[in-house]
Amino acid sequence: MTEAIDVRPVEILLVEDNAGDVELAREALRECKLRNNLHAVGDGVEASAFLHRRGSYASRPRPDLIILDLNLPKRDGRDLLREIKEDETLKRIPVVILTSSAAEEDIIRSYSLHANCYVTKPLGLEQFLKVVRSIEDFWFTIVKLPPR
Amino acid sequence: MALLRKALSFTVLLVAGPGLAAQGVQAPEYQVKAVFLFNFAQFVDWPPQVVPDSQAPLIIGILGHDPFGGILDVTVRGERRGPRPFEVRRYQRVEDIKACDILFISQSENDGLEEILLSLKNQPILTVSDSPRFAERGGMIHLVTERNRIRLKINLRAVQAANLTISSKLLRVAEIVGPTGR
Amino acid sequence: MALRDWPIKQKLTAILLLISFLVLLLTSAAFVTYEVVAFRQTTVKNLSTLGRVIAANSTASLAFANRADAKEILSALRAEPHVVAAALYDKDGRLFSSYPADLPGDSLPAAPGRDGYRFDRGYVIGLEPVAEVGSARLGTLYLKSDMKAVSRTLRLSAAIAAGVMGISLLAAYLLAAVLQRRISQPILALAETARAVSTRQDYSVRAPKLGEDELGLLTDAFNQMLGRIEEQNRDLRKLITELERSNKELEQFAYVASHDLQEPLRMVSSYTQLLERRYGDKLDDKGRTFIAYAVDGATRMQRLINDLLEFSRISTRGKPLQPVDVNRVLGAVRGNLSLAIQEVGALVTNDELPTVMADETQLVQLLQNLIGNAIKFHGGERPQVHVSAQGAATEWIFAVRDNGIGIAPEYFERIFVIFQRLHARGEYPGTGIGLAVCRRIVERHGGRIWVESTPGQGSTFFFALSTRNGEQAP
Repeated sequence: MTEAIDVRPVEILLVEDNAGDVELAREALRECKLRNNLHAVGDGVEASAFLHRRGSYASRPRPDLIILDLNLPKRDGRDLLREIKEDETLKRIPVVILTSSAAEEDIIRSYSLHANCYVTKPLGLEQFLKVVRSIEDFWFTIVKLPPR
Repeated sequence: MALLRKALSFTVLLVAGPGLAAQGVQAPEYQVKAVFLFNFAQFVDWPPQVVPDSQAPLIIGILGHDPFGGILDVTVRGERRGPRPFEVRRYQRVEDIKACDILFISQSENDGLEEILLSLKNQPILTVSDSPRFAERGGMIHLVTERNRIRLKINLRAVQAANLTISSKLLRVAEIVGPTGR
Repeated sequence: MALRDWPIKQKLTAILLLISFLVLLLTSAAFVTYEVVAFRQTTVKNLSTLGRVIAANSTASLAFANRADAKEILSALRAEPHVVAAALYDKDGRLFSSYPADLPGDSLPAAPGRDGYRFDRGYVIGLEPVAEVGSARLGTLYLKSDMKAVSRTLRLSAAIAAGVMGISLLAAYLLAAVLQRRISQPILALAETARAVSTRQDYSVRAPKLGEDELGLLTDAFNQMLGRIEEQNRDLRKLITELERSNKELEQFAYVASHDLQEPLRMVSSYTQLLERRYGDKLDDKGRTFIAYAVDGATRMQRLINDLLEFSRISTRGKPLQPVDVNRVLGAVRGNLSLAIQEVGALVTNDELPTVMADETQLVQLLQNLIGNAIKFHGGERPQVHVSAQGAATEWIFAVRDNGIGIAPEYFERIFVIFQRLHARGEYPGTGIGLAVCRRIVERHGGRIWVESTPGQGSTFFFALSTRNGEQAP
């Protein structure tokens, strides 16, 4: 019995309040080989609603990867991280922390809350694009993900 | 030996006699006796009333032949007993004696000794002689030559009868004799 | 052990004892001497009395040459055992009678000497004239008495004196041992307090005040001093806490500030570049150049902010100084600069380097900046860098010598100022912070840094650091 190859596009949830960084991420992912859908939400509350498919997000798909910034308005990224990793249905989704902070406490905290990895936003454009592409590449090409 | 010496000296005296006396050379015997005479003065006290004054000379007299020559004069010259200077006088007869403190009676008067003593009785004169048995016969001090030494014999009664006092020190070195003699 | 180093207790007791001993010694000596002198005089007096009595009794014996009597009189001297010899001489000085009977022939003088009593070789010799009162001399009495009575008295006196002295000294010692406490106790209390303070570093102890004399004054002054030290310590601790807090705040501030400044810069830089990417073909060369300048400016600003953060961290993140082996530091720097060294084919050499008091991380930074500069500012020929060190008193003076382009003397001070650059950005890269960081690091270590150079003939950068534990550098 051969496995059906999953050819649907990968769903990526980007939780980022900086519109500029959202645009940059979109720019980066546009050039990716793999077909992908980038869903962007601006704060932790919206993100939670998206993940639980509440309200206007009822029809949204479950993301294959969450890229999460730590410093978010309304609800802090660390809080959201904890929520995701404590939720039975959500905790298997890999969470990549992508933040401007390089502070050790943030790194330790994030891993303690079971973030899958931690990436600091680079200063240059090219580097930023490269990092986003690498994330996508790593998690979808190299790594094995759990089935839906 | 002593006898020989005595005889010798006597002979010398007889021969030399006054001549020698004038020249002053005498036998040691009489030198000693002269010193003794001089020394007696220190051991005898005369009653104060017979001493005219404290400075009066202390007279040593020689009665009879002078056996001393000049020795006695030499011995006493310049000496004093206390304040009293010494003086030597010579007498031939008892009657000549006026003031005398010590009288040496020479052996030349031996025969008339008793009479001499009698006439001097009770006078405060110290009689000394070397005549034989002088003390027994009434004399006060007898100089006895014996074995080269001159001993003293003292008749204390005679001394006391004359109101003289002899120091016990002198008495100690002498033989005390009684008047009757032995 | 010198008298100076004796404990106070011992010193006081010893002084008191010494004084007592000297006083007792003097008193005893005086007393014994007096005793002996008096006794000698008594002996002579007694002998002369005896002599006069015998002489008075011997007058007749001599006057009348009575040897038996003379012998008898002299034999009465048996009663005085100290008379060892006696003799009567006649007035011509010839021996007349002697005592005792068994006396050896030469014990008596041939002729009597001067009248009178005198001491002669441990004997008293007396010559008494024999004469009746006021009359001529009859002879001389010779008496010889030993001094055994005197020596016996002397020994007895000395023994008594010694005994008394011994007892007195013992009493003096006991008294001294007790009384010296009056002096020594306050001193010892003070010394003990000082010791406690210095061993336990506890400035809250106080010395007990045991009187109003000079020691009390000293104790007061000492306690006051301790109080002041305690106070100063408290103030210092408060200050340190304050500074630590302030440091932390500054660090936080610097971090947050630089972090918050970077964010908008990143946006400017990124979007300017994105602009060129997406719409670059719609621009002419000039437009593209404009964008390049904008991007360059933003990038430089980013670097400057980083440099400033790093600069401030020298103090806020500085670690306490510890002994650090500079050879190891150099090894780390070689590793960090390996790429740059390889690229220009630089030669980095060094002498044996010592151990100094330093923050290791910062020392790495310091050497890395200096050696990095030496490599960077090469004049076209192969860069050669040599690191050496020389000891001077309690310092080590390091030298980083290169064969680069050199520096003109009028710039020797300026180059250490932050962001001061001597060259256009195109000639040599860098923000101009490297040497400012070096100076800040060196000054944080309590040292100093300077340069000697001739343009075109390379430069030597010197910096001084303290030796390990303040020891003397060879």
